[in-house]
Amino acid sequence: MKQETVLEVKNLQTYFYSSEGVAKAVDGVSFTLQKGETLGIVGESGCGKSMTSLSLLRLVPSPPGKIINGEILLNNTDILKLSDEELRKIRGNKISMIFQEPMTSLNPVLSVGEQIAESIRLHQGLSRKDAWEKAVDMIRLVGIPAPEKRAKQEPYQLSGGMRQRIMIAMALACTPDVLIADEPTTALDVTIQAQIIDIIQNLQKQLGMSIIFITHDLGVVAEICDKIAVMYAGQVVEEGTTDNLFEKPLHPYTNGLIQSLPKLYEDQEELSTIHGTVPSPYNYPIGCRYAERCPFATELCREKQPELLTVEPGKKVRCWMYSKEWQGATLMEEMTI
Amino acid sequence: MTLFILKRLAQIIPVTLGVTLVVFLIMQMIPGDPAIILAGEGASQETVAELRENLGLNKPLAVQYTDYIKNLLQGDMGHSLKNNQPVFEEITARLPITIELAFYSILITIVLGLVAGIISAIRPYSFMDVGLMIVALLGISLPSFWLGILLMYLFSVQLHWLPVAGWDSAKHIILPAVTLGAGGAAIVARMTRSSMLEVVNQDYIRTAKAKGLKGYIIILKHALRNALIPVITVVGLQFGSLLGGTVLVESVFAVNGLGRMIVDAIRTRDIPIVQGGVLVASLIFVFINLFVDILYRIFNKRMDLN
Repeated sequence: MKQETVLEVKNLQTYFYSSEGVAKAVDGVSFTLQKGETLGIVGESGCGKSMTSLSLLRLVPSPPGKIINGEILLNNTDILKLSDEELRKIRGNKISMIFQEPMTSLNPVLSVGEQIAESIRLHQGLSRKDAWEKAVDMIRLVGIPAPEKRAKQEPYQLSGGMRQRIMIAMALACTPDVLIADEPTTALDVTIQAQIIDIIQNLQKQLGMSIIFITHDLGVVAEICDKIAVMYAGQVVEEGTTDNLFEKPLHPYTNGLIQSLPKLYEDQEELSTIHGTVPSPYNYPIGCRYAERCPFATELCREKQPELLTVEPGKKVRCWMYSKEWQGATLMEEMTI
Repeated sequence: MTLFILKRLAQIIPVTLGVTLVVFLIMQMIPGDPAIILAGEGASQETVAELRENLGLNKPLAVQYTDYIKNLLQGDMGHSLKNNQPVFEEITARLPITIELAFYSILITIVLGLVAGIISAIRPYSFMDVGLMIVALLGISLPSFWLGILLMYLFSVQLHWLPVAGWDSAKHIILPAVTLGAGGAAIVARMTRSSMLEVVNQDYIRTAKAKGLKGYIIILKHALRNALIPVITVVGLQFGSLLGGTVLVESVFAVNGLGRMIVDAIRTRDIPIVQGGVLVASLIFVFINLFVDILYRIFNKRMDLN
């Protein structure tokens, strides 16, 4: 089957300008997304994954944020070059987004049905009555009982899980090509998390869209993603298929993340952790950004930043260990000792 | 909602009793004997004593007050000490003028305040925003009687665009209404601005943007409706100070309304008129507050749960 690229992000850079300096929140992120595929973007808090997703819809709060470089090609159209009016027609229509906080992401004074119906009216030009009926259908589709009644209610009358379903219904109302789900399950309890993930996966099958799933939860990623991009300090440090990444993590950071997962069948006294903290985005080291926390770091790592290397088709890593220079550098070190 | 309205209507009874009692006591505390003022300065002691007897001013305070309440319950607000006209007629003759003035003033307060607040909030820290907020600061700082005199000097005396005083045509309404509404408009503008600025940073505004909604729909439908909740409270409070303001503004522009009637009556110690006037004004205030609370519930349905 020939793969069809829906979204291609090239060298995206989103910086924040403040009195403290320039924070490089997203610093040269690239990835591609095929039709029907689910890409997981993982990384710890502050690694730039949410800012990457907001950049895709040009929703970065500005000022202080600004997308300073890169291309975001949606079906070969660069989103960064669109006029405000053209962008508006894509938002919620071709790309839509589910946010992290279902409690605050819905307007508290409008009925949830109206909040879904308004984007249907806008993008599909349906009449008020037809759009409302479609909104009710969408609420039914995400598995909320008594959708006719629920549609008329306001967010405060719904539970957190139901509100997130409403967000999903809203995001999918215009059957977008790409759905960005920014930690959609983080604020929910575990049983609801599983339900929400099921709903997203089922709808993906029905509607055939591509998904970017942003999370710090590796368990969720393993369950639903076809491929994964691991982010660290504003950059992608490793990219590969889900199976490959979990079985054979290349980057020491990915390895650290997987090691720090609790294991069901091993007797562990203490969970493994990655020592140190993420460097400040105002002041990244000149070399590899992970070098300070990396057990394998050498002089080379501290002095020069590694490129994102393609080690095999579909597998990329940003680490000196997999480069030609590494052999030479380690030899040099051994010789000086 | 119905229960809430009934409860609030029932509260009017103690409020009314309280208002009459406080006004009655204050009027007793003000120096100056109504009988002496009424009889004129050169009047003999006998005349004054007779007058006092006729007016019932010799009776103990408690008796005077219960008499007043008894009459009030029968719909009799008493008679003016000055011209013996029924208080009710004096009030109904002037009340429409004050209501008209208050209506246009609150209209100016709401429309000017909201528009200025929204414009400021859309482009915060812009030239327009800073300019509007300086004007708003002036609006809050200038006392209405002084603003009234300034406006009168500029538009009536210098430019001859508007009449100096009186209440005969639409042109007469402009200056008093602007004078009375300006302070409120300034407060509403500042409140709208800060409330809008808070709301536009909320997550649901980001959601609205992510849906691809048009800018004006985001501002008017998604942001303003949420931002209005505190603004409604401020408008309600403004209405109270607006009623107080009519006293000053009606005096400055020689408008023969309720406010000026009360001021004149205080000067001549015309107790029944003062009591009647203040009673009506406070009833209006109570009803406006009730109206504001109902609006507040319509805009903020979460309150209905409590």
